[in-house]
Amino acid sequence: MAKNKAQIVYSPKQKAIRVLLWLLLVIFAVIVIFPVLYIILGSFKGNQELLLGGSNIFPQQWITQNYVDAWNQANFAVYTKNSLLLSVGVMVISLIVSSMAGYVFSRKTFRGKELIYGIFTAFMFINVGSVSLRPLYELATGLKINTSLWPVVLFSAGGGQATYIFLCRGYVNSVPKELDEAARIDGCSFFQTYYRVIIPMLKPVMATIAILSFRQGWNEYIMPRVFTMTNENLRPLTVGGNMLKNAGDGAAAWNIMFAGATIAIIPILVVFVCFSRYFMGGLTSGAVKG
Amino acid sequence: MSNYVNPQLAPTTRTPRPANKKMRLKESGGVASWVMLSPALIFLAVCSIYPFVWIFRYILFNYDGIPAHTRYTGLRNLTTMLSDAKFWNSVGVTFEYAALKLLFIIPLALIMAVLLNQKLKGSSFFRGAYFMPTVISSSISGMIFTFIFATGNGILNGILSSVGMISKPVGWLTDTGVVMGAVIIMSVWAGFGNYMLYFVTGMTSISEDVYEASRIDGANGVQTFFRVTLPMLSPVLKVVLMLAITGAFKDYEAIMVLTNGGPGTRTNVMFLYIYNLIFGTGANAARQIGYGALLSLVAAVIVGAVTIIYNLVAKKLDDVV
Repeated sequence: MAKNKAQIVYSPKQKAIRVLLWLLLVIFAVIVIFPVLYIILGSFKGNQELLLGGSNIFPQQWITQNYVDAWNQANFAVYTKNSLLLSVGVMVISLIVSSMAGYVFSRKTFRGKELIYGIFTAFMFINVGSVSLRPLYELATGLKINTSLWPVVLFSAGGGQATYIFLCRGYVNSVPKELDEAARIDGCSFFQTYYRVIIPMLKPVMATIAILSFRQGWNEYIMPRVFTMTNENLRPLTVGGNMLKNAGDGAAAWNIMFAGATIAIIPILVVFVCFSRYFMGGLTSGAVKG
Repeated sequence: MSNYVNPQLAPTTRTPRPANKKMRLKESGGVASWVMLSPALIFLAVCSIYPFVWIFRYILFNYDGIPAHTRYTGLRNLTTMLSDAKFWNSVGVTFEYAALKLLFIIPLALIMAVLLNQKLKGSSFFRGAYFMPTVISSSISGMIFTFIFATGNGILNGILSSVGMISKPVGWLTDTGVVMGAVIIMSVWAGFGNYMLYFVTGMTSISEDVYEASRIDGANGVQTFFRVTLPMLSPVLKVVLMLAITGAFKDYEAIMVLTNGGPGTRTNVMFLYIYNLIFGTGANAARQIGYGALLSLVAAVIVGAVTIIYNLVAKKLDDVV
């Protein structure tokens, strides 16, 4: 394919058009990247400069005090810790739960399998919005586990699991059954087969699920907002930053908010730049197989 | 005919051992498989089924979050809904928002995908750049655009006035005339990369030979797009439209952060209105959870109806084309 393309010869007019199209791509990329760049560069501006506004995106004077203030005074150290717990927790739970369920759904025939599978699918499409958080919130307060971030981790993982299970099931389907049978003849139990044979085969799809579920946990907003309404020390970055904005003195603390928003987006951007293949691959494979 | 040996019997009588072994292999791990499935089943029961059943329990009740206050009110929630101008306004706002978002996001995603498909220099960088906003939390994108659209010191007004396009600051988030535009800009920015990627993936599966043929027939770029790319892409387009429609109706996180439904109720989409009924805080927040539960169901039905109508229309179009 690539060699064929290299042979295409463009006429001068076509070349000019391709340059124009390329410029269009560049301009559009600048527009798309601009908001993120504005926040990151703005986080190095002084508050005075931010409140004055203007059209200059670069700081007149680069300062890092905003980060020190956000980290120490505005509690962003705690928010970051919570965000990490939330995203890593959702990721680990999603990986374990979805790979096991995907394996069973792919390899086992049992009564009610189609029904259970149908219920999973149905709830992917039923969306009643935030109201479903109310019973979960009351459940967590009833069980008195709402003093930690764990209910948010569990409910977030539980809410997002269907997609990941479908991804895993599709992938296990493509693993030859003969491998299972060979392992079984060698004396592996059903679980050992999963652990020793299937898991190593699942690496690519596990990487995709790890990335997607990490992002899900890191970006979760409404649920942690509801669950940490009265407990500031459990808030992740998304909630903490926005609460600062809603607070009365919000207008005055633009520098802290810029620094906070930057802290919230940099890790996920780094993950994206390193693993963009899995982000984009996961999206499309989910659409085809789910 | 009836004298023939039943063919199904033959293999089992001839080779009993492999069949038996297969049976044994299939049967093993029955308990293990249920144990391995149980976390997913518990999650399904707790996070999906239980909340859904819970909603039906409360739609006939007046409930403000304090269990002792719960009162059965029969169909009063329903009559409240019928005369609730704020709710029907939010339904209208949702339709307006969804229509405008789709109007911009789908053509934009399609155009960018076509441009990326031209294999220009740095295509994969551009693809990553356009996709980048979708990995950012919608709450944070809402926050970023609050700063960009700020009337006094926002950078958008700063840039527009420095190039002389506006003489006085535009109240992007405070003027009812333009606020919907601001919301749409944010949501298109945050979401178009997703759909673009679907289109790009769909286009890579279109064979190069088809383009070759159209080139030989003398088709120009625009003709190739409408006569070749678009028809070949129609299955993907249908899926993307479906995702985009349901997605647009469900958006409210970023809107909540950017405008919180304001000014007034200008951008108060229905899921945001319902959120404030159920979890609202502030001075005038009289929580109406039972009522909110009913509205959630109605909203889900509205989204479902739109999806079904879309599917019917898509099918009809299929028959015509």
